[in-house]
Amino acid sequence: MKKNFVKRLTGGLLVAGLVGAALTGCGSSASTNEVAATGEDTVEADSNAGFRTLDEIKESGTINIGVFSDKSPFGFVDENGEYAGYDVYFAERIGKDLGVEINYVSTEAANRIEYLQTGKVDIILANFTVTEERAQEVDFALPYMNVALGVVSPDSAVVESLDDLGADDQIIVISGTTAETYLTKNYPDIKLQKYDAYAEAKTAFENGNGVAWANDNTEVIAFSLENEGYTVGIPSLGDQDTIAPAVTKGNETLLNWLNEEIESLGSENFFHADYEATLLDTYGADYEDTLVLEGGK
Amino acid sequence: MDKDILIEYLPLYKDALILTLKIGWQGIILAFVIGLIGSAILHFKVKVLKTIVGVYIEIFRNTPLLVQLFFIYFALPKVGIQVTAEACGVLGLGLLGGAYMIETFRSGVEAIPVIQTESAASLGMSKLQILWHVILPQAITISIPGLLANVIFLLKETSVFSTISLMDLMFTAKDLIGMYAKTIECLFLLVVFYLIMLLPISIIGAVVERRMRYGQFGD
Amino acid sequence: MASLGIDVLFKGTNFLRLLQGLWVSIEISLISVVLSILLGLLVGVLMTVNNKVLHAILKVYLETVRIMPQMVLLFIVYFGTTRVFGWDMSAETSAIFVFTFWGTAEMGDLVRGSIKSIPAIQFESAWALGMDKVQTYFYIILPQTVRRLIPLSINLITRMIKTTSLVMMIGIVEVLKVAQQIIEANRKTSPNAAFGVFLVVFLLYFIVCWPISRLATYLEKRWA
Repeated sequence: MKKNFVKRLTGGLLVAGLVGAALTGCGSSASTNEVAATGEDTVEADSNAGFRTLDEIKESGTINIGVFSDKSPFGFVDENGEYAGYDVYFAERIGKDLGVEINYVSTEAANRIEYLQTGKVDIILANFTVTEERAQEVDFALPYMNVALGVVSPDSAVVESLDDLGADDQIIVISGTTAETYLTKNYPDIKLQKYDAYAEAKTAFENGNGVAWANDNTEVIAFSLENEGYTVGIPSLGDQDTIAPAVTKGNETLLNWLNEEIESLGSENFFHADYEATLLDTYGADYEDTLVLEGGK
Repeated sequence: MDKDILIEYLPLYKDALILTLKIGWQGIILAFVIGLIGSAILHFKVKVLKTIVGVYIEIFRNTPLLVQLFFIYFALPKVGIQVTAEACGVLGLGLLGGAYMIETFRSGVEAIPVIQTESAASLGMSKLQILWHVILPQAITISIPGLLANVIFLLKETSVFSTISLMDLMFTAKDLIGMYAKTIECLFLLVVFYLIMLLPISIIGAVVERRMRYGQFGD
Repeated sequence: MASLGIDVLFKGTNFLRLLQGLWVSIEISLISVVLSILLGLLVGVLMTVNNKVLHAILKVYLETVRIMPQMVLLFIVYFGTTRVFGWDMSAETSAIFVFTFWGTAEMGDLVRGSIKSIPAIQFESAWALGMDKVQTYFYIILPQTVRRLIPLSINLITRMIKTTSLVMMIGIVEVLKVAQQIIEANRKTSPNAAFGVFLVVFLLYFIVCWPISRLATYLEKRWA
């Protein structure tokens, strides 16, 4: 209690010192109102909790789902401006079964926890790998995909082991991903070149700014299949993990609904259909059974 | 706020500060040089070069640094021009800053009464001599507050370096938030480090400006 | 030019989306500039008031804006305020808030400067004519100030439009984010799209900002 209070107080002073100067000093409290009036698309959050319960979401008629907008083929925006991909296919179904409109929020890897903890989205469906550290910050529902880490490199200099790297070789990672955390913890000597967004990391990798790119193996396999001249030298690194939807910590009603949804979707082999609709083009049929997790198991 | 976390993160922010300053100063020196050369070209109305400098100023003053960096770092390699992240940061900052520095120097030069140039000329000094011994020393002094404002502006602009993988202060904060979700601590350190970096420059700027005003009034 | 990826922009609604993204940037800047001018007039007048406490507060405010990168402010407002106060501001609102916070400081400082530059005799004459303080400001001082401010605020618009490139970082899909999405969705078919698309984004910013800053320079010279 006390610690929490101190935390809030110091934090409050910090922000108040910066932001509050305008409000207190210049009699411009009107600015907040005027500004708020111009804001759009925000679905009112419950003021005393950091999240919206299942009923509140249904009542509002809109659910905010955080997805990637630049991570093909899992979450991206197609040439007609529509969200698409494996995660989005599932999101669409959630919207349909809840009977609400979906408001997609474009997230970066490093923002995902933040979005949930500040209640700015209801669900994160952005290829979110379940890890112990993250489970302390958010609540994961049942998983819907298998994943491990992988490393892709150009054909001309395939990286097959992380121990072979030269002292100056840099590996590209995306800020806030499991690959970053894993390498930071287990290979502290490897130089990482970090990017905010998938699009930037991939372009930099294509441009030859790093010797290899480490990420979820799904992602690096997709990259090597879609782009000529690249090989996944290390197909599996670290532990086998799973990918699951996440909600704000403590949002039990939504979590339970999601778990039931994933279980019941298993009976109709929903995620296999999802794979065939969104991933088949990239991976072919070979990966279907290794990637897809049906009914949460 | 958790004190242990602050202490744990401190070295990372220190590294970021060093990187920010390193790239920042290189960029600022480049901007300074571009500013001097560019304003000299405008001052002497050198044909062709004058137009090039004019176009350069308009382009770099009317596009965001972020987009400039994106272009240099991500687009140019597609046509075979490879730049490292650090070089890109220095180059971007230098080119952007140069466009502002030229204007700052030029207004400094314009502030010097024409009679000084004429007197110097009548004493038999060459154009270059006039520039070097008469105009520049005064112009730079007059420009100091503007220069310092540009320095602060450029050091602030380093906050967009995260997009080209440079671990500056902003990126360090974002990265740590992404990995460990200690938002308040990370943002607090971020603010503190920007204060450490920029407050002294800002204060010096204010003092210099006041001094100079006295100087002018005393003349 | 096909190999440089310009063609990607003519697929589907790509180019339209890019323009829509640009409009998001312009919209945020325009709203912020209007709010900044209104609040800036107020703050500027307050800066000329002789009150030590007020002075100190405004000083801290100005210094904060001068030192803190807009990106830092965006992060603090967007993520920080929700954490600390539980306010849920949308990304757009946060952006407008931060831009207004910044713009108000700049406008305020300019207003203060131009009020100070108006000869004291005008205040005195107005009082001599029996006008009160509010009347003096409203009818005599502010109209003159506003005229001097117009070029400067036009200038502020271009700087705001340029700074909107940062709002991508708090999840607003503006022109740069759309560019990334287009590059990503077409990576397979046109691997060089990064060149064409970023070049076009570069030009779009220039096409928008350049005429506005020319206008500002022109007005500045004419009304100086």
